[in-house]
Amino acid sequence: MVLQGLITGIIIGGILSLPVMGVALIYGVTGILNYAIATIGTFGAFTTWLLLPYGLLPAILAGLLTSFVIGFGIQQFLLNPLIKKKGNDLTLFFIITFGIATIVAGLTKNFFPRPTISIELPKLGTLFIADVAVDINKVIAIAIAFSILLVMRFLEKTTKTGKSWIATSQNLKMAKLVGINVEFVYSLVSGIGCILGFIGAFFWGVLYNLTVNTGWDLCFLGYIIAIVGGIGNVWGGMISALIMGVVISFAGYWLGGMWQSVALYVILFAILIVAPKGILGSERSV
Amino acid sequence: MPPLLMEAENLTVTYGSYAALKKVNFSVFEGEIVAIVGPNGAGKTTFLETVAGLLKPKEGSLKFRDRNITKLEPFQRRKMGLMLIPQEGNLFPSMPVKENLQLGAFFENKRSTEEILNRVYRIFPKLQDRTRQLAGTLSGGEQRMLAIGMGIAANVKALMIDELSLGLAPKVVGNLLSILRDLRDETGITLILSEQSIKALDVADRVYGLEAGEIRFTEDAQQLDRDLIKSLYLGA
Repeated sequence: MVLQGLITGIIIGGILSLPVMGVALIYGVTGILNYAIATIGTFGAFTTWLLLPYGLLPAILAGLLTSFVIGFGIQQFLLNPLIKKKGNDLTLFFIITFGIATIVAGLTKNFFPRPTISIELPKLGTLFIADVAVDINKVIAIAIAFSILLVMRFLEKTTKTGKSWIATSQNLKMAKLVGINVEFVYSLVSGIGCILGFIGAFFWGVLYNLTVNTGWDLCFLGYIIAIVGGIGNVWGGMISALIMGVVISFAGYWLGGMWQSVALYVILFAILIVAPKGILGSERSV
Repeated sequence: MPPLLMEAENLTVTYGSYAALKKVNFSVFEGEIVAIVGPNGAGKTTFLETVAGLLKPKEGSLKFRDRNITKLEPFQRRKMGLMLIPQEGNLFPSMPVKENLQLGAFFENKRSTEEILNRVYRIFPKLQDRTRQLAGTLSGGEQRMLAIGMGIAANVKALMIDELSLGLAPKVVGNLLSILRDLRDETGITLILSEQSIKALDVADRVYGLEAGEIRFTEDAQQLDRDLIKSLYLGA
């Protein structure tokens, strides 16, 4: 029972960590708290679901690309010009991205034929951890969630683009002066953040049911978990996502579903009282 | 006379209602070392940041290599061969020395980056011993070395350095200045230095005097009355 709860918790936490990493990455580089990435990712997951009859891989690629293009486009054509005009105002951009999240959620509702989807993947079998049966798809979901962090580190270490976003997060002024097109970096990172939102929503759709509201939940949870982890801190976000996943899972078992979010907030407030800057501290770097 | 490299015409920059630069006219010829002197708050940093593209002028225009660059972004100006090393915050503190230099050489390919880094290490052997050390943990003098190293690694046509001497011992400043003059003699790079140190006049070809956002004089460095400059502009 405890093990079952723990495994479920890690799976939920692993999926939640994706939008959390997206929020952290975008904040780390651009200084914007982007609320919309999980709704954009959900739009992408719905796109994948719609295109599933054309094959799994093309459908996933289409969803990925859709999320990236929306995230990139919003940053490039709406947020970047605003940063230029108004400077980087945390509250302003929170409100704007909240508005974008609303619009994208509304579009998802109207654009797709069904409000609730479940993405069917070929069954790969079941894995037994101790006595607990775990669907292999879930294991893959977790493996991908965790490996994305490594992929990001790899990009940061080995590619010019990765170095550009690290440089931008460390010293914006100098990044501009050495020749980095920081607006492009912002857009790119926002696109990547939305891809992370997409992967999270996609796996949610694989393991559970995905609705427009789930997108909102992922947004909201992603957001507060990122704060608990230390906003802008990718590792902290990951750790706090796992903690929250386990909290959600056990609260569901022992207290019942309606208490899940209550337990979540109690833990959230407790952590913020003890560590106001989050588990690993807030930093504008990734 | 070498060809004109950069020209500012009637450059006006404001912060709110305060005019930090008032109709500044400024020109630099290829291969020149130009020093901009002036007291604190004269507008030296504002001028350099405007030329680099960090600030947008309210009026006036900037030309570089016969192209109007007034509306270009900083990275586009850098691509054309214009680079500024600001006086503070000129490093990526949580990156190792080598990655800082590599970012300095942003537009070079892998092979030429290696060559350029070796050139920087020849000029500043101290940096070679510390390639893996995080830039933020270097001493003040070493940090300035690294910042100038990034400027050299940039391999640009014109390098602007804001307050090279800030917080450095006079001897170190003298060394850095002669390094820069050698670099100019060797590569033909154009240097624009904003300075509060009188030593800059030793290497400069021409001097602009800036005060309260206006150009007060421009003169051959050799013909300047140094004591007058010192008392008027450098507060020494």
